[in-house]
Amino acid sequence: MAGMKPVIFAMSSLASISWALAGVKSGHAEAELFAASEGYAAGQPVQAALKLTLDEGWHSYWVNPGDSGMPVSIEWELPDGWVAGPLLYPIPERFVTSGMVGFGYAKEIVMPVFLTPGEEAAGDVTVKAKVDWLTCDDAACIPGEATLELTLGEGLGEPSKQAEEIEEAFQKVPQPMSGASLDVVREGDQVTLAIVLPATLDGEGAELIPATPNALNPEEQIVLGPGEGAWKAVVPAHEYAAESWESLEVVLVGGKLKAPLLLHWGKEME
Amino acid sequence: MKTPFSLVALAAAALSVASALALEPGEKAPSFTLESASGKQVSLEDYAGKTVVLEWVNFDCPFVKKHYSSGNMPSLQEKYTTEGVVWLTVQSGPEGKLPSASQLEEKAEAAGNKATAVLRDPAGVVGKSYGAETTPHLFVINDEGEIAYMGGIDDKPDLKKESLETATNYVAAALDSLAEEEEVAVKKAAPYGCGVKY
Repeated sequence: MAGMKPVIFAMSSLASISWALAGVKSGHAEAELFAASEGYAAGQPVQAALKLTLDEGWHSYWVNPGDSGMPVSIEWELPDGWVAGPLLYPIPERFVTSGMVGFGYAKEIVMPVFLTPGEEAAGDVTVKAKVDWLTCDDAACIPGEATLELTLGEGLGEPSKQAEEIEEAFQKVPQPMSGASLDVVREGDQVTLAIVLPATLDGEGAELIPATPNALNPEEQIVLGPGEGAWKAVVPAHEYAAESWESLEVVLVGGKLKAPLLLHWGKEME
Repeated sequence: MKTPFSLVALAAAALSVASALALEPGEKAPSFTLESASGKQVSLEDYAGKTVVLEWVNFDCPFVKKHYSSGNMPSLQEKYTTEGVVWLTVQSGPEGKLPSASQLEEKAEAAGNKATAVLRDPAGVVGKSYGAETTPHLFVINDEGEIAYMGGIDDKPDLKKESLETATNYVAAALDSLAEEEEVAVKKAAPYGCGVKY
């Protein structure tokens, strides 16, 4: 196969078709794996996504699930040279079940992921993912699992019918932004978060959601207000917070922000 | 609660189990009297002078199932009750939503439960007095009636049985330390599991 260049135009109607098995139902969700393009180009990341369609009344969870629940876990079986990025989580909803705050999703959630073929990648490939998740409603928690497959043809081909859905999901994934920074000062149980945003952004009224589990108390919604030279929030530490932190991640969404932001603070930055 | 220029807090919609008076390690374990699944009255005072473990349970919860179907929880129960520890498994939550006494007894037996007793707390009063939030959620009470450990059974909040091989079991560690009359290293850790249905 080495040395063979893909003949894209001749093959696009036949071999460059990405197809996936129909959704797999397990517990209270149906899981699907699909890509934004029919195929791949060697060395270029493919936009793919895991979609969970949830039964009415059931939630799946965010990277910080809150006080109960569990994030999605995914194990890949990839062809040689392919690399999978982390599963990307759109901004969650905040909900309460059994008196405990959870962060996650209802109805359906599309979680994008980049799959990158090596420079030498050739031919049709099949990518496998073993996915485990937990869904809870107010009365119970039920796990689910699925082994999903995605076949990608050599050559990008046309955008798939899920391309738009994946693009919409990407827009809801919080992104870091240069010029934005987070400073964290912890005094016993009180945590002061100071956020500097580029001048083009207005942080007024934006909601801050902790992405690091068990760090900040999630009981009350955290909304940014103006502080001296920065946007601020003062939040109690989580009941099970470690004595001190090496790092902390938060996301900002809503208010006057057009897109959700991801902010990272690390002790090494001090 | 508003502070001059920083936090604007919006009230949470539901009741919180962890209140400002939440139990902490070192404090006296709240007393209680509950009926066991087999119909006996059981009080914490019955076991004065002994080390007691309280284990909150819901046999339909996947996290509880992880620890029972693997044999993890039953083997802890067996090991430590043999050493003189009293192990009480507790189900908190309303009748009608949770197994009845006889159903609970059946589920406990089917799961291989080897606790000293399985107790029902239908009013949820005992669960709330301890701040039991998840199933499982464990409390180790030393022989002076103080909380020696409270929190998750271990440090792996997932559903994978393989995690048990490398998990640090906080409950076993606390019980072993108490038996050796040594300081309990980890007195509090995050509980994980399904929410207790009050």
